[in-house]
Amino acid sequence: MLWAAVAAYAVAGVGALTDVISDRNPGRGVLVALLLALALHTASIAVRWQDVGHGPYTTMFEILSSNVWSLSSVFALAYWRGRALRSSAAIVMPIILMLAAWMLSSDHSAGHVPATYDTVWLWVHMFFGKIFLGGLLVAVGLAGIVLLRGGLEVPQRLPALPENAALDVLAYRFMALAFVFETLMLIVGAIWAQDAWGRYWAWDPLETWAFLTWLSLAFALHTRVSFQPSLRMRAVMILPVFVLAFLTFFGVPFISSVPHQGAV
Amino acid sequence: MSVLLARLASPKLTLAILAAIAASVLMTEARWSGATEGLAVALSLVVVNLAAATIINPAFRRQSALLVFHLSLIAIILLVASSRLCYLKGHLELAAGESFAGLLTDFEAGPWHRGQLDAAAFTNDGFAVNYDPGLLRGKTVNRVHWNDENGRAHRAVIGDNHPLVLHGYRFYTSFNKGFAPAFLWLPKSGGQTVRGTVHLPSYPMHEAQQSIEWAPPNSTTRIWTTLHIDEPLLDPQRVSHFALPSNYRLVVRAGEARYDLRPGDRVSLSDGILIFEGLSTWMGYTVFYDWTSPWLLASCLVAALSLAWHYWRKFIAPSKPKGE
Repeated sequence: MLWAAVAAYAVAGVGALTDVISDRNPGRGVLVALLLALALHTASIAVRWQDVGHGPYTTMFEILSSNVWSLSSVFALAYWRGRALRSSAAIVMPIILMLAAWMLSSDHSAGHVPATYDTVWLWVHMFFGKIFLGGLLVAVGLAGIVLLRGGLEVPQRLPALPENAALDVLAYRFMALAFVFETLMLIVGAIWAQDAWGRYWAWDPLETWAFLTWLSLAFALHTRVSFQPSLRMRAVMILPVFVLAFLTFFGVPFISSVPHQGAV
Repeated sequence: MSVLLARLASPKLTLAILAAIAASVLMTEARWSGATEGLAVALSLVVVNLAAATIINPAFRRQSALLVFHLSLIAIILLVASSRLCYLKGHLELAAGESFAGLLTDFEAGPWHRGQLDAAAFTNDGFAVNYDPGLLRGKTVNRVHWNDENGRAHRAVIGDNHPLVLHGYRFYTSFNKGFAPAFLWLPKSGGQTVRGTVHLPSYPMHEAQQSIEWAPPNSTTRIWTTLHIDEPLLDPQRVSHFALPSNYRLVVRAGEARYDLRPGDRVSLSDGILIFEGLSTWMGYTVFYDWTSPWLLASCLVAALSLAWHYWRKFIAPSKPKGE
């Protein structure tokens, strides 16, 4: 079922790329493939949940799986609601597919659920985190299209797609959404950390890099508002924020497993 | 004055400060000396910059949500500074049946910490810990009791996400726990009989090193105590539970003499008689105090909600005037 879901994600990705390369705004076909992938993926997560007795949040496989699901869900919702941002699928879907490929190559065996995970704050923390990363992913997709067209106000490349200025405004909105939800994620994470480890903040690697991501988001939003940089620069500024967030979510767990697991 | 305020409120300065905070955080991560001081300076500059901006930047008068967000950031930084002056974080160990009397094994505290740790007395009534296969620690359940100011007795079960909160002090169970042989010490000099426990190294973390050297109160005799557990206590292959062993030997050595003790056995040493009363357990606790925590949480929530409100008005509310 998981392989079928990834195949459907791939169909959505290929469809989006084909449309954008052909200078067409992706249409309903991509959305249908994405929704099919999500349905299959949801069923796959549910079956595994029943088998192992806990949600997808302990191993790298489970974390990747839940993030592929949540990023796709956020993007599907954005894609459905906003026709102007659909071209961003050409950037977003390859990123999701890359995560899906990583997920398939990860160890599928079940992990241990630390006792500190038995709290509602885990769910709230994860929910806010997923909205944050989803918002940032849509923003980076929009920025990617702007940059693919040279970051010009009146692009020569892919002229049939929505105007760069419109994509830029949408990217700004999704950055703002990401900023609000990262703030909430950090707050709820601190509440959880206070109960689980007896301190609300300890500069462990995950906390440190999440805070650096928050700073970079604040930096990018503040620069945009206060200095009105060029369209191209506004798009470029989104990229390092996404890279930081991506490394925080999927890179830091490789170099440190101390804070977010309580098993000793 | 207004020129100075304008300079202090400069958006360019804001960017420089954000970069300085990021650099300080990275230096802290890399454990560079002076990183903490650098972060403190950068955060102080944020307060100055934001305060100046809220005074002179007209955008804050037009956008009340944005003003609330920036004032919340100032409040957060001031509260964090207060927290560092008044906090306490420490550790303690209590054997089953032992009461906390305000003494910590180690601690760190802000210079203005004026706590009443001795008022936060409670008694450890014993604990249970489950282990999943692979000796992965599961749920910790610790029973405790205490009396309030009016002498009324209270009982609670704490562990994992559930601390005991007394007089603002939050007591958390920890992974640090183990076995505690209980002894009675009768000095030959005729001094007072003392009953107490010796805490062996944490179990199962130091399963192979269940030994400790200690000296009875007011005695120069060094006693080397080793617990030999002659049964498998925690099975890495299946779910198991931390429990007192029923099949064990306690070996006590003093100088060249060696004794195998069972509960009730006594040993006559040069300056006293040592009676082994039995094996118990000890639990390691972390204690945390920070009066700013609820205010900090409130400020953070106000910051997040005002930010959401600002963007909502900016992007979604149709009838509101737009502006950066």
